[in-house]
Amino acid sequence: MAPDQLSDLLSRCALRDQKAFAELYRYASAKLFAVAVRITRRRDWAEEVLQESFVNIWNHASGYSASKSAPMTWMTAIVRNRALDLLRRPREVELDEEHEELIASLPDDAPGPDELLRQSTDASALAECMKQLTGEQQKSITLAFFHGLSHGELAQQMQKPLGTVKTWVRRGLERLKDCLEPRNA
Amino acid sequence: MKLESGELREKLAAEFVLGTMPARTRRRFNTLLKQMPALRRNVAEWESRLLPLAAALPEIQPPARVWTAIEARIHGKRSSAARAGFWQSLSFWRMSSFTSAALAVALIVFVSLPGRQAPEELPGRMVVIMNDLQTREPAMTATWEHGRQGERIVRLRVIGHAEMAPGTAWEMWMLPGGDQKPVSLGLVTTHETQTMVVPASMAARLDSATGLAMSVEPAGGSPTGLPSGPVLYAGNCIKT
Repeated sequence: MAPDQLSDLLSRCALRDQKAFAELYRYASAKLFAVAVRITRRRDWAEEVLQESFVNIWNHASGYSASKSAPMTWMTAIVRNRALDLLRRPREVELDEEHEELIASLPDDAPGPDELLRQSTDASALAECMKQLTGEQQKSITLAFFHGLSHGELAQQMQKPLGTVKTWVRRGLERLKDCLEPRNA
Repeated sequence: MKLESGELREKLAAEFVLGTMPARTRRRFNTLLKQMPALRRNVAEWESRLLPLAAALPEIQPPARVWTAIEARIHGKRSSAARAGFWQSLSFWRMSSFTSAALAVALIVFVSLPGRQAPEELPGRMVVIMNDLQTREPAMTATWEHGRQGERIVRLRVIGHAEMAPGTAWEMWMLPGGDQKPVSLGLVTTHETQTMVVPASMAARLDSATGLAMSVEPAGGSPTGLPSGPVLYAGNCIKT
């Protein structure tokens, strides 16, 4: 679905059009659920996140502005923020065993960053820019983004000191930004 | 925190969007976001940069119950506004009592016509067509007749496909008319056809009810003995 079609659905939602909302759900729910499942790593939490997010989308559809962000970006942000807030809530310091196991198992059972980016059509510019990062920068950013890992968890996962991982992330993000928007080139 | 510094805002916004912020920082950042438009702009920029990555994820179909729950919440929210109007609307009560009075007159005329054999059991059959208060479409019908020993057999029919949110129950109420409070008839299901038996002790009140209503309640039914959740369906009683 084209972004302007999605924007149109969102503005109809703002007018309390339930059919438009159902159509929006049909189109976006599986994409957004994938985002929530990756971050929360628990189906029940992901379901809760998706439910909360769509109620939110319905209630705040009038606040969506097509000039400020693409519709999928707006909805993805709502889902990611919900998921991250939920994820960060119960375990500020330590991970339980099940959790650690899950994290450990992720890189194996999930498509790798390169593969994910190849599959992506919407993110081609971003994919090109990701290629310009070093391997560590790329890995730390994709792990954080897709799996909702905090700096501490990234360090644990990549078995590197916290400071090193933080630097990879920061430099990686800076490079991405420069690549996506070259400064007065 | 010197958030006037564009560089710092930029760095924090990037971390927030990437999701690497620890819990406490995240909470503080959320508060700051509400207060600082400039910070919101930084975040929006980073969202536009990074969130397209999410399109790379293979889709996962959520189970149907998620949509059911979303619909119930949205529906419930809108119906609670409708509920206030419904329960408080004088015109509703006035109109329903007028209708039943008119019908009662018609019935008396009918039974007193000479030469006609009156039906064995009065008032015969009652019909209620309950509308979805939101769509104004018929959503449920109820009819009842006399059972043995004075009880009433209420047959319910759910029209179309209805879904109940998990952890909730549907409770049926009879509206005695005037300013009397609704009386619970018990819980119902979403099954297309179902039967309720109303004991003889409540039969007279049911027969003289002006209408029926169905509300969404916590599992197990209303904790207060009165409708506590949104009223989804309601309709007036009609004698046939």
